[in-house]
Amino acid sequence: MAISFKQIEEKLKAESKRLLETGQVSVVLAYQNGYDEKHPMPYAAKCVSDVENIIFNEYCNFNMARYLVRYSRGTKIAIAVKAADSRAVIQLLHEEKVCREDVVVMGIPVYGMKNSETGQEIDGQTTCGLYNPVLYDILLGEEIHGKPVVSPFEVLTPYEAMDREDRFVFWKKEFDRCIRCYACRKACPMCYCDPCFIDQQKPRWGEKSPQSSGNFMYHLTRFHHLAGRCVDCGECSRACPVNIPLYLFHKKMAKECKEMFGQGAGMSLKDKPVLINFRVDDSDKILE
Amino acid sequence: MSFEPKILGIACNWCTYTGADLAGTTRLQYPQNLRVVRVMCSSRINPSFIFRAFQMGADGVLIGGCHPGDCHYNTGNLYARRRLAVTKKILDFSGMEPERFRVEWISASEGNKFAEVVTEFTEQIRKLGPQTKFKIAL
Repeated sequence: MAISFKQIEEKLKAESKRLLETGQVSVVLAYQNGYDEKHPMPYAAKCVSDVENIIFNEYCNFNMARYLVRYSRGTKIAIAVKAADSRAVIQLLHEEKVCREDVVVMGIPVYGMKNSETGQEIDGQTTCGLYNPVLYDILLGEEIHGKPVVSPFEVLTPYEAMDREDRFVFWKKEFDRCIRCYACRKACPMCYCDPCFIDQQKPRWGEKSPQSSGNFMYHLTRFHHLAGRCVDCGECSRACPVNIPLYLFHKKMAKECKEMFGQGAGMSLKDKPVLINFRVDDSDKILE
Repeated sequence: MSFEPKILGIACNWCTYTGADLAGTTRLQYPQNLRVVRVMCSSRINPSFIFRAFQMGADGVLIGGCHPGDCHYNTGNLYARRRLAVTKKILDFSGMEPERFRVEWISASEGNKFAEVVTEFTEQIRKLGPQTKFKIAL
């Protein structure tokens, strides 16, 4: 069964139109055409006549949950989410950046999304490998069952097997290419701190020019801030103009958190995120 | 010249720092490589402190807190335990030796344990040699 993107687009338009017409929401976060069909853009539809601009195709990778935090409290928002994006919405709900009653989640069960730069499929490679949104109010299409389950952590194997020295050389080479454009931070649904720690003057956490030391500080701390919160959408790596495989580190942290604390970020509305929670019987072994 | 490691110690005010005090007043010998910074609780430690310490040339970082369940603020070290475990994994995956980073629970009455841990950790760092991976060339 192939995914009919056209059908999803029609449903997305119809639902958006209905929600805007009835006044249930004032903004619909979805996608619009960019300069060609391979390069869609994030789009906020604010009135019924905007709805016709909405599109959905296999290149619509953006995590629209990134834009939820830009609206003031009380704004009613409808958001189109794929599997990883819905996890981001759950995580934002946990962190009280949005209220449940303010968002209408339009879930899109989908697979076969493609990277617009390389044309490769991204399921499980750079994203979390889920097909169905974890949280939704309206489902556009039918839930996908029977597709093979892709382990999101499989891509890590060669890097985990690497010698530690080699791994350091690998990351140093990658981070040295960083030009500090902060596209990763801008694309990330969980990166909403204002100011970001790296922009602070006092204390000055790291050098701001693109040099090795500051790059290490920025990226390692960012990985730490996103540990147990990263929803594995892979947007940071796709946004990166120099193609640093940031998703690898995020996946590794997600894997470790899952192993140590037994839960993934944004997988349920009940479980608190791991690093703002504790159990008295956590083992001291995790520190070894 | 032989290698003398520089070790940053971050100690919680209520347990480890008091334990260090006890080690001092009971005249226990331990290496002088440790530079202790006192914080009010182990959960006050921002993981960036650790990355920054390595960048500024620390060869090792030792963190001391109250035993789980004994925190002065009841739950501080339980949060810290999870957080610092993640820090250790980050250091490991980025290619830094995780042995350079250690978390120990030392209570106010364990002056002996403090001296032992510092001696052992200093020896461990001495064997590992100078830390050059994160260090900034100043």
